[in-house]
Amino acid sequence: MQPTPDLWVLVALVGLPFAAAAATPAVTRAIGNLTAYYAAAVAAACFAMVVALAGTHGGAAVTWVGPLSVSVGFYVDGLATLVGALASGVGVLVFCYSAGYMRDEPGQTKYYATMLAFMGSMLGVVYAGDLVVLFCFWELTSVASFLLVGHYSETRESRYAARKAFLVTVGGGLFMLVGFVLLASAVGTYSLTAMLARPAAARSAVENAGLLLPIVTLVGIGAATKSAQLPFHVWLPDAMAAPTPVSAFLHSATMVKAGVFLLGRLRPVLIGDDWTHLLVPLGLATMLVAAILAVCASELKELLAYSTVSHLGLIVAGFGFANVVGAETGVFHLLNHATFKAALFLVAGLVTHATGTKRLDELGGLRRDLPVTAVITTVAALGMGGVPPFNGFYSKEFLYEASYEMAVHHGGLAWLYPLVAVVASVFTLVYALRFCSIFFGERPATLDVHTPARSLVLPPVVLAGAAALLGFGGIAALFGAPLDGLEGFVGSVVAATLPPDTHAHAFHYALPDHIAPAVTMSGLALAGGALCFLRWRAVRTVVRALLDGAPVLRADCWYDRLVFGANEASARVQRALWTGHLRTYAAWTFAGVLVLAGFGYAAAGLVVPLALPSLGITLSVVLLAAVVGALAAVRAPSHVAGVMALSVVGFAVTVFFVLASAPDVALTQVVVETVTFVVFLVVLDKLPSYYGRITRSRAARDAVLSVLVGALVTVTTLAATGADPDRIAGYFVEHAVPDAGGHNVVNVILVDFRGVDTMGEISVIAMAAVTVLTLIVMRERGETP
Amino acid sequence: MTLILRTVTRVVLPLGFVVSFAFFLQGHNLPGGGFIAGVLTASVVALAYLAYGLDGVEHDVLNREVQTAVEHVEHVQHGIVRDYQTLYAAGLALAVVAGLVAILYGVLTGTHLTFMTQTYRSITVPLYGHVELASAVVFDLGVYAVVVGALLTVISVVGAE
Repeated sequence: MQPTPDLWVLVALVGLPFAAAAATPAVTRAIGNLTAYYAAAVAAACFAMVVALAGTHGGAAVTWVGPLSVSVGFYVDGLATLVGALASGVGVLVFCYSAGYMRDEPGQTKYYATMLAFMGSMLGVVYAGDLVVLFCFWELTSVASFLLVGHYSETRESRYAARKAFLVTVGGGLFMLVGFVLLASAVGTYSLTAMLARPAAARSAVENAGLLLPIVTLVGIGAATKSAQLPFHVWLPDAMAAPTPVSAFLHSATMVKAGVFLLGRLRPVLIGDDWTHLLVPLGLATMLVAAILAVCASELKELLAYSTVSHLGLIVAGFGFANVVGAETGVFHLLNHATFKAALFLVAGLVTHATGTKRLDELGGLRRDLPVTAVITTVAALGMGGVPPFNGFYSKEFLYEASYEMAVHHGGLAWLYPLVAVVASVFTLVYALRFCSIFFGERPATLDVHTPARSLVLPPVVLAGAAALLGFGGIAALFGAPLDGLEGFVGSVVAATLPPDTHAHAFHYALPDHIAPAVTMSGLALAGGALCFLRWRAVRTVVRALLDGAPVLRADCWYDRLVFGANEASARVQRALWTGHLRTYAAWTFAGVLVLAGFGYAAAGLVVPLALPSLGITLSVVLLAAVVGALAAVRAPSHVAGVMALSVVGFAVTVFFVLASAPDVALTQVVVETVTFVVFLVVLDKLPSYYGRITRSRAARDAVLSVLVGALVTVTTLAATGADPDRIAGYFVEHAVPDAGGHNVVNVILVDFRGVDTMGEISVIAMAAVTVLTLIVMRERGETP
Repeated sequence: MTLILRTVTRVVLPLGFVVSFAFFLQGHNLPGGGFIAGVLTASVVALAYLAYGLDGVEHDVLNREVQTAVEHVEHVQHGIVRDYQTLYAAGLALAVVAGLVAILYGVLTGTHLTFMTQTYRSITVPLYGHVELASAVVFDLGVYAVVVGALLTVISVVGAE
């Protein structure tokens, strides 16, 4: 049994980047461009803590909201260690790279602070041991992504992209939250630690509640938006408007991995037929469509973005398969993809920096000017294309194996899975080779190449080195000397994503030495890809023509239609509501209250007690005076008369309170009545004396509405006071003196027993003052009609 | 405004302040409390505005030049509006802090109190007798400040228009 992790190390791990982010403005002012290395040092410290925690397993928590069983909990296992190591390790490299890339750029403080805060949020997601904590950090990553995608906030594309990324991911996050709430309501706790300790029990609780399919769907939507699966992949290519290190860090290695991480995290609990039938088609369809889109990309980062979507699809499909090989696919590709894709993104930034262009068609023959980069790219891109013996090959083998196993097992339509996997891999190889080809062939005469700074070259070298090492492990294993440490670690990650009753075998990967179905599929995909690449211009033309025929695949249209449609709809609603007449506002407000409260009462099956309390003669007279005052207010010929009549109502109610032995309420009523009266006097001569004639139908509508609102208030009062009032009142009367030391029960309730309510009320008062002030200021400046 | 109103206001103003202060203090045991006292104070000041006008209060009572509180805005030109805003902001802050103190106390003493837990002590003052000190009075002071500040902000800004 491994030791359980120390809570304070986890708090330090997650908190350090946030603290460092808070200190960034001061640091930038002091050391300027060197801030990159400060951030890298923070990331390195986090990486060290991740490594230190790697030997532990289990959860640590402090109670947060006890009654809801929510805690600030953390959980450590292989999966958390893997993604945490990626977040901090790639972080170190990306920060070093930023030293060259962001040198002397404006907005460095914002950039580094947000990147650090993002790293903290990502570590929070990864090590969360509680669904609520996970959700909070999850949304924080979206916020950080919004800020970073919109880094060049002066350009329209950047702002559009940032908003898009934010709306899609946060919107998906809300679905996920509903899924979490359902999950917690079924299992009885928000604690992931508890769920993962007994996945089978959690699962049967979910099944007994009949909530498995809704939960899988909702959580799936959350993961799909974050990991840019169809049809939510639209945000990722646009997000390339961010600086390149951001793309490498957030949009290839870490944030988009949060979605697949979530799938891996909940896989032991939720896996089943629903899970497979939802995720495998989703992942494979994404893999295929995005690979096709990547082939027609015309810019370096656009190609990589679609490729990222495609590879995330592969991971989702891997986690979707119920067999052990599926889990191995997901986990191993998660690792492989982070290494080669982050390297390629950094290469893309480097090439753009060195040549000043990002268009694929304008680049070529760079190997003579950028020899080291050419080697890095070859290693990483061949890994991306799944060419043996580079690292992507092995995880793709696992995918073929998983899909083949499933097809043999289920037959029929399930044979589509291996087929789609192979076809998608054909396109994958095409775009991988296309990316590589900018280093080979003839260099266009117009191209001017600068030598890149060393800080731009070293980080991708490290990443490509890691990718090469992973590939080398396969070769070594063929000769009987596998990298035991690596295989053991990946095995522990795989184990974390397996449901409890599976018989896991030790994780092992190697170059194949005999013909198996997966090997045949690899061979087919590679041959097809190589053939297509030789004719890639023709392929691209055909695919582009296809896409023009079916623009649905580009799918920007649904997002634009939704968002801009919502804008127009809200403008229409606004025109209907915002007429400038107080009467319209009042009518809509009251109608809204009526509908909402009425619906609530109807849904709750409210029964109104009809036994009216008997009124004495005195009370009747007072109330009659109030009624007369109200009628007079309606028929008042001038504002002054109307205000006077309303005051009659107010003071009649005061007398009623006095007679009902509620001096405190009566006193309040008097002072409020006075203040209202004074305010009326202040504004009275500003009001127009005549509002214009209203139509008969309008008057009738207003009258009906008024009567209905009156009825609603009556019902509310009867229902509220009918429900055994003495018990509640009795409690407060009994406890006021011993518990709060006050004899005025009303005031004790206000400031002590229900003090938090009062806090809300005074916040509303302060907000009202701010609103009035703002409205007046805006009006004076001519910003409103 | 008329002489009668001005003369009455001069008499009522101090009385109003004293009464509202009394309401505030006795709130725990007799009718009163922060909210009522706040509204009363606000209405008394509003009365002064009615009688003397905003400029009069600003210039004669506070001995300040009439100045602009918000740039380029003619009608929000009284420094006192800014003071009112400070008042309700401070009141809100005080109320929140009064709630948080309980948590801090709970952590320090290991008793785990929740937000806004209140308590009271009875002490005996020589010559005066029994006095009850309730911690809730701090929160109530926040309520008072918010009510006064917010109401007077609204009244003076709207009135200036």
